[in-house]
Formats: sequence, C-alpha cells, structure tokens
Amino acid sequence: MTTAATGTKLTAAVPRRGPVNNGALEFPAVGKPLMTKILLIEDDGETAEEIAAELVERGFDVEWSADGIAGLDTARSSHPDVMIVDRMLPGMDGLSIIETLRQEQVRTPVLVLSALGAVDDRVRGLRAGGDDYLTKPFAILELVARIEALLRRPVETRETKLRVGSLELDLIERSAKRGDRVIDLLPREFRLLEYMMQRPDQLLTRAMLLEEVWNYKFVPATNLVDVHMGRVRHKVDGPDELPMIHNVRGAGFVLRTPA
Amino acid sequence: MIGADLVRAAPFRLALTLAAALAVTVVALFGFVYWKTDDYLTARSDQMIMTQLNVLSLLHDQRLLDAIDEHLRQDARGVQFAGLFRPDGSRITGNIAKVPADVKAGAPAHRVEIMAARHAGLEHQVVQGVARQLPDGVLLVLGRHVDETSGIAHVIGQALALGLVLALALSLVIGTLASLRARKRVEEVNRRVQRIVAGDLRERLPLHAGGEVFSKLAAIVNGMLDEMETMIHALAGVGNDIAHDVRTPLTRARLALERGRANATTLEQLQTATDKAIAGIDQSLTIVTALLRLAEIENSRRSAGFGAVALDELVREVCDLYEPIAENKEVALKVKAAPKLSVHGDRDLLIEAVANLVDNAIKFTPTGGRVDIELVRGDGESIVRVSDTGRGISESERDAVLRRFYRSQKDRNTPGVGLGLNLVAAIVKLHGFRLAIFPGPGCRVEIACPDQATA
Repeated sequence: MTTAATGTKLTAAVPRRGPVNNGALEFPAVGKPLMTKILLIEDDGETAEEIAAELVERGFDVEWSADGIAGLDTARSSHPDVMIVDRMLPGMDGLSIIETLRQEQVRTPVLVLSALGAVDDRVRGLRAGGDDYLTKPFAILELVARIEALLRRPVETRETKLRVGSLELDLIERSAKRGDRVIDLLPREFRLLEYMMQRPDQLLTRAMLLEEVWNYKFVPATNLVDVHMGRVRHKVDGPDELPMIHNVRGAGFVLRTPA
Repeated sequence: MIGADLVRAAPFRLALTLAAALAVTVVALFGFVYWKTDDYLTARSDQMIMTQLNVLSLLHDQRLLDAIDEHLRQDARGVQFAGLFRPDGSRITGNIAKVPADVKAGAPAHRVEIMAARHAGLEHQVVQGVARQLPDGVLLVLGRHVDETSGIAHVIGQALALGLVLALALSLVIGTLASLRARKRVEEVNRRVQRIVAGDLRERLPLHAGGEVFSKLAAIVNGMLDEMETMIHALAGVGNDIAHDVRTPLTRARLALERGRANATTLEQLQTATDKAIAGIDQSLTIVTALLRLAEIENSRRSAGFGAVALDELVREVCDLYEPIAENKEVALKVKAAPKLSVHGDRDLLIEAVANLVDNAIKFTPTGGRVDIELVRGDGESIVRVSDTGRGISESERDAVLRRFYRSQKDRNTPGVGLGLNLVAAIVKLHGFRLAIFPGPGCRVEIACPDQATA
C-alpha cells in the first residue's frame, strides 16, 4: 500500500486514542459486513482524531487524509458513501476537490467544514446542491446529525400520506392524526412535523430545523426551535400516550415510533 | 547631495520654469517692439524723402545741382543718397553711381539697391528710395538708409537682457529659499508623523498662520487624526469588553471542571459538572460567533445576493416565527402590514435584522405588554417599525445601545450578548437604509428603507 494516496483506515476496533496517522493500517472489519464508509479530509490531526473516534464509535468505517491531493485520490479509489472535507487544506482546497469530483460524475454527498468568516456564496451554494456545510467550531453531535442526514436523504415519493407508527400526516388535506385522534396543527407546526416525519429515528439539530423548516440562516438569541417544538410535541404526544418526539440533550430532537 | 535634492525640489523647479517663461516673454516683447519701431521709423523716413523729392523737383538747372550738393553735404551720418541722371543714364551729379536697376519713377518709397559713390570707391547699399522724371528729361533719384532702427533695437535689447539676467537670478534665489522652506516643513511633518507611528496618538501636524495650502492640508490631516484617535480609543474599549464578556463564562466553565474533577464521586456528578462547563464554553462561543458574524456583515460589500424582498411577507414571517415565544410570555404580538411594499436587499439579512428587533422587543416587554410590528409608507421610503410597551430606551442610552456589548446595567440578568442591535445596525448600513431609535415610554425602533437606497 502506498502512503500518499491512501488515508488511514479506522474501524470500530481502533482504540479511542490509537495511533491514527502513522501510515496505513488495515484492521479486520468487524460487525456489519457492509459498513458505511466515510472519507475525512482534514489537515488538523487533533480535530481529525476526535471526529474519527466519534464516528468509529458509532459504527462507521472512517478513512482519513491530511491533505487535498491525497484526499482526492482516496475519494476516487475507495468510493466512500459520504465525505467530510475541510475547506482550507494543503495541496488543494476543499471546494476544488468537490468540483473536480462532480466533473467526474461522482455524486458522493459532502459535508464541508468551514471557518465562520469564510462562509461565502460558494459555500452556501453547497446546500442547494444537496450537500451541506458546517462552520467551525461545531458540536460533535451536530456533525454526526448532518452526516446521518446526508446518508439518509429522503427519497422522492408520490405518497401523499406520511406515516410513523400510529402518526399519520395527509399532505393533500393538510391534516394530522395519531391513531383515531385528530391533531389540529397550525401551518408552521404542520411544516415542522412534515419535515420530522420524513426523517424518523434521525437526530435533527436546532440549526438543521431552522435552516430547513424555516429557511433561516442565523442563530436567534432566543431558543425559538424549542418553543415551536414544545407546541408540536404537546399536540402529538397526548397525556396518556407514549412520547414520540424526544429531546436529545444539548443536541436536538428525534421522532421515534414508541417501542 | 543636498544641492541635487534642492534642484529636484518642486519649488525650485517651479521657480526655474517661471524664469524660462519670463525669458520667452521678454524675447517676444523685444521682437514686437523692434518690428513696430522699424515700421514707424521707415514710414517717417519715407515721408521725409518724398518731401525732399517734391521740393527738389521744383528747381531747375544750377539751382537744382546746388540744392542736391547742399542736401548731401548736410548729411553728416552718410545716410542720404541722391542722383541726377541724363536720359541716356549718365550721371550729372550726386553720390549714386548709376541709375539703380529696380527703381520705379513716380512710385511711393520702396526698397532699392544702389551703388553709392564714396571717397573709398563704390559701395553696395540697400535703401528706401524714390525717383521722378523731371520735365527736361532728367531722372532724379533720392534714397535714405534707415539706420535708427538698429540703434534703438540695440538699446532696447540691452535693457531687456539686463532685466532678464536680474529676473533669472531672482528666480533662482526665490526657488532656493522656497525649496529650503518646504524641505524644512516636510522634515518637521515627518518628525511628527514618526512620533504618531511610534504610538503617540496625541501628536498633530504643525499649523502656520495665513491659511496657505500647506497649513490647510495639515489641518485636514489633523482632523483625520482626531477621528482616528477617537476610534482607536473606542476599539480598545471594545477589546476590553470582549475580553471581559468572553472570560466570564470561561471562568465559570473552568470552575465547574475543577470542582467536578476534585469532588465528583459518581459519573452523574461528573456529568453535571461537565454540562455546566459546556454551557459556559457555548456561551463564549456564542459571543465569538456573533462578533465574527458582525465582522462578516460589516466587511461584506456584496450585493450579489440582493433582490426584490417583499417586506409585507417578511414581517409576517417574523411574526409567525416569534408568536409562540410571545404567547409563552403572555405578550401580545401583532403585525400590521397592509401595503404591499418591497425593497432591494438580501432577504436573509433583512429577516435577521427584523427578527433581532422583535426578539429584543419581546425580551424587554413585561408580561401583559404588547409588541407591534408595522409596515408603513413614509415620505419616499418604506418603514418597518417595531414598538413595544417595555421600559424603553432613554435619550442618554440611545447612542450607547449601538455600541458593541452595551447592555443597560438593569439588563445584566437578561440573557443575551448585547450584540443584537449592532447586527441590525450593520445590516441596515449595508443596505443603505436608516435605523432610528425613539425614546420611551415603550421603545420604538424603525428601519427606514428609502426607495432609492444608496447601497
């Protein structure tokens, strides 16, 4: 194995503080036969180590490249399911890597890590292209949530009704019910619930909800999302029912079918 | 070295240029005077010989010969010429050797080439001449050499040359003095600027009485220095505020971690301590993020993302977003946006600005109060107005609230980082709109969007 073209491979077997950047180490894959493969292109070793450790712990197969050119080669050779790319990289910058891959008809979803001051129209354009970006510094759970969202992008369907457990949303009649109980929703509450029901069992962070449901690109001073979510939860989860909307401490919300 | 510097200096070169211009003028003046004088003298001389010709024409025989001899004898300077010729061209008397080839009898005075008979022999001369055929067939030719012109030209030329030399010398002296003075000034300015560069912000450029250009320039630079000094002091103040505001939550985080590490005996206790620490760090990050965001907006010159933004839809959206928050606080949030108005701007930024105003309004309005969002039409502008029934902003605080991190002492317990209004102000400025804050009771903030914004 050559060193430049291939990043470090990490699997669940790697200890948290293992040596992650001293050459290419192959570990026998354990667990799922077809693990989701993530390519991480990030030049800061410490950040990369933290991200990789968290993702490996969650059962992903992580490959790491520390510079742009090696990262592009790895992306071409190992066909990852999703990529995390730092914008500022030695060798070749992150956006150029993505543009090169797109020209080669590679459609792998990408999450770009960008410094806050460097969020320009080019970076914003990623969201329109089905990719995503995250500004540094970020919470690790925010990163995981966005990776999952990229991996589980809802498929386009002609279905006019969404169902999660006993919860049902009629997109034509704009009505909702849980079992036989009709839920009366305001338009903004309907939009929020619709977004969540398209992504069941998936962690949705406040920032994601603001961006996707309300189309707002700023973080308001007041915890707006919590208040709106509180309203919806109050209506969806009746007093005698098992809760479906769960608050994930310090991160966001998940809609789950009650066990 | 210094000499070369001096010659290159602008005042010196200016003096030289002026001297050269003066020389050209003098030469031109001389030429003009010469030309005019020559014309005048020639005309007078021509008149004179014509008169003489008329007088001599009236005489006959010996009297004519005597008159010609007398005429020539009286001419001490040797500028007069005369000749009397028989019809066959032989000379009767006079000092002209033979009939000049180009003389025209009966014509006014004209240029004639003659051979003058002197004691030394024949001499070729160019003179003004006249000629007349007398009744008895003889030809009388009179000529005059206009020599006064050259004499006068000599005198005038000498006078002007002397003046020119004096003027040139004076120019050099003035140029040198001016150069020296300017260099002294520049050196003085340089000394003071070096002191400013070294950090002495109170230093100013020297002003001299008389209001000359140099002093005016110095006054302009001094005005700029005043402005910069104020700004630098303000910035230093902001830096201190930032350090303080970021340090406070970090200190709390550190304390929580320290105590957790020392005292926690169960995982749960450790987690509680860690959560506290994360909350503190998050707050620091929020401040840093808000600052970076502010810098991002203030530095952005992009209007590429600008388009038509429907203000009526925008205010309704913000109201929709904040309705539950107001309801939770039992504050009545109402929107009144009757006219359909739109402006040229960045929708995301404008939403952020209005949302910030509404956020503030709800935060500072006590339970039972109300917040109104209105869209009205002003004089040539659309106005988004957010008013509340809170405590309001006093006259004295009005400018202060636009300062970074300013939070009224009374608000220290209300969460927030005190940058909200700065963000609004930056967004408004980017669009070329106007932000107005009206004093209490209650608070009223307006974003006025002129139809022809200068963004």
